Amino acid sequence: MQPTKQLMVQAKGVQKWYPNGFHVLRGVDLEVFRGEKVVIMGPSGSGKSTFLRTFNALEDYQEGSIVVDGMELNNDLRNIDAVRREVGMVFQQFNLFPHLSVLDNLLLAPTWVRKRKREDVIQQALSMLERVGISEQAYKFPGQLSGGQQQRVAIARALCMEPRLMLFDEPTSSLDPEKVREVLDVMRLLALDGMTMVVVTHEVAFAREVADRVILMDEGQVVEIAPPDQFFNHPKHERTQRFLAQIL
Amino acid sequence: MKRSPLTLQRQLFGSLANSAFTLALFALLVWAGWGVLSWAFGSAQWLVLRANAATLTIGRYPDAQEWRLWLLLGMLTSLAGVSWGRLRGLNNWPLNDRIAALLFVISAVLLPWLLAFGAINQLRLIFLVLLLLLLRQWSGGAWSKAFGKWWALVWGITYVFGLWLIAGGLGLPAVRPSDWGGLVFTLLITSLTLLLALPFGVLLALGRRSGLLLVRWVCVAVIELIRGAPLITLLFVGQNLVGFLSPNGFAPDRVWRATGVLTVFAAAYLAEAVRGGLNSIPMGQQEAARSLGLSSVQTMGLVVLPQALKVALPALGGQCISLLQDTTLLSIVGLFDLLGIARSVLANPDWLGRYAEVYLFLAVLYWCSCAALALGSRALEKRLATNYS
Repeated sequence: MQPTKQLMVQAKGVQKWYPNGFHVLRGVDLEVFRGEKVVIMGPSGSGKSTFLRTFNALEDYQEGSIVVDGMELNNDLRNIDAVRREVGMVFQQFNLFPHLSVLDNLLLAPTWVRKRKREDVIQQALSMLERVGISEQAYKFPGQLSGGQQQRVAIARALCMEPRLMLFDEPTSSLDPEKVREVLDVMRLLALDGMTMVVVTHEVAFAREVADRVILMDEGQVVEIAPPDQFFNHPKHERTQRFLAQIL
Repeated sequence: MKRSPLTLQRQLFGSLANSAFTLALFALLVWAGWGVLSWAFGSAQWLVLRANAATLTIGRYPDAQEWRLWLLLGMLTSLAGVSWGRLRGLNNWPLNDRIAALLFVISAVLLPWLLAFGAINQLRLIFLVLLLLLLRQWSGGAWSKAFGKWWALVWGITYVFGLWLIAGGLGLPAVRPSDWGGLVFTLLITSLTLLLALPFGVLLALGRRSGLLLVRWVCVAVIELIRGAPLITLLFVGQNLVGFLSPNGFAPDRVWRATGVLTVFAAAYLAEAVRGGLNSIPMGQQEAARSLGLSSVQTMGLVVLPQALKVALPALGGQCISLLQDTTLLSIVGLFDLLGIARSVLANPDWLGRYAEVYLFLAVLYWCSCAALALGSRALEKRLATNYS
């Protein structure tokens, strides 16, 4: 066990208004520790994806503060670039680059951002593909893969930057039901390796098994934070009970 | 969709009315075709083309310097041969290769003979086609692999060298751009304008989407002002106004002024085509690239723009064809492009009234050039598209 728990993400009183005036985040606090797995749940429109996307500055915020791995996300663009290099993200729509082969999708960031030679990272990329179980597809293009395979490539692509924190924004929501499992299996493996993970998902079984803490967000606020056992079996908050009654 | 042979029959002769229409139209076609053919082989006097073949090709370029054009053509032919051979080696090279080679052979033998080129020039052209085909045959090997890495650079250097070769200076006797003309001039100014306008158009398109307000306003203003004016008025502005405004002797040659106007004009239209492509790329692509740590410039250059240009390719190809045709307007501002030189030939009392022969020939030439551009852009589309499933 670590002697002291190290903070990976510290969000304090984060507030965000959309340009149209909608108050999407209403003072959100969250601390994520190194090696911890946090699952964020909540109804659609609760601001959970928006909140997650503030962690690597894909969304800005107007009030409060977010510190990721010791770097504050403010208007300093160098900090934003530094944070993005250390934080991997997996999207609902995969967002693979369709004009590049699977292998080139993986190599793009290491060669251009880390400035490493292609020959030096190609082995790492191939072993990463093996890890997510699709090494035989390295020279295909994303359009030739199934949704589940594409999402596993997206995970491998993020891992090639050797991130310290992985963000998952509804990674299985646009998959056919039978493909969900292969993606969740990869995420389980990643969790076993000790990766710090923040996951927005509706997969209750995954949350029960993997999460250290589960969060319910509603209307731009954190309603409840609890270990999965307590969250799913003895939720304190009435809003959580209602939410669980609808999805379980 | 597979079409049964019966479909055509049904469409043409499905009912009594259909049959009547088909027969009537067919009769009309035969009548018109007969008219054209009997003119072409009867009353038409093709001597005007034979006598002026050289003028139509190179305009008033000095005879003594003609070797420079041949040298350039030879270099371009060699490069084209090597490139062709390498492209042919790619597994999804889409053109029908043998037919293309055959067309080259036929046109190289037949055209110079029909146009009564001198024997030496006929031999030169046949030699060039042989060179092209031989290089195409040989360039699959290892030595051309190195070329594969550098060919953009080699083409670029050759192009710049070619411009210098044509214009002269630095040791060679200078040939003023106003003395260039004919087919060579048309191809030269079209290619030069395209090379300049493509990057300029991409920059305009990016500027129009920029977050910097001033940049955006300037780009919108340039694009909309240019698109709001007919090209011919812009050409007149370039030819006359620029001359008045610049101090004596400082105005660039009229050819360069026209090139500038054409470039800006083409760039405005290309920019809109590129913008359409950019708009079609989902936000998620940018987000994914930025989340990997790529800078905004890298995101644009490595992720968004390659996809956007691919989407815009059909529109870009169309703009290239338009540009080639737009160069005919240069004849109205007094430059000797292919159409301009043809008009000057027709103004010669010796060839009075030979409009139909000359203009038909021009139409065929322009059609061939545009068809080549269209085929090229289709081939590029196909080649890029097979990357997808």
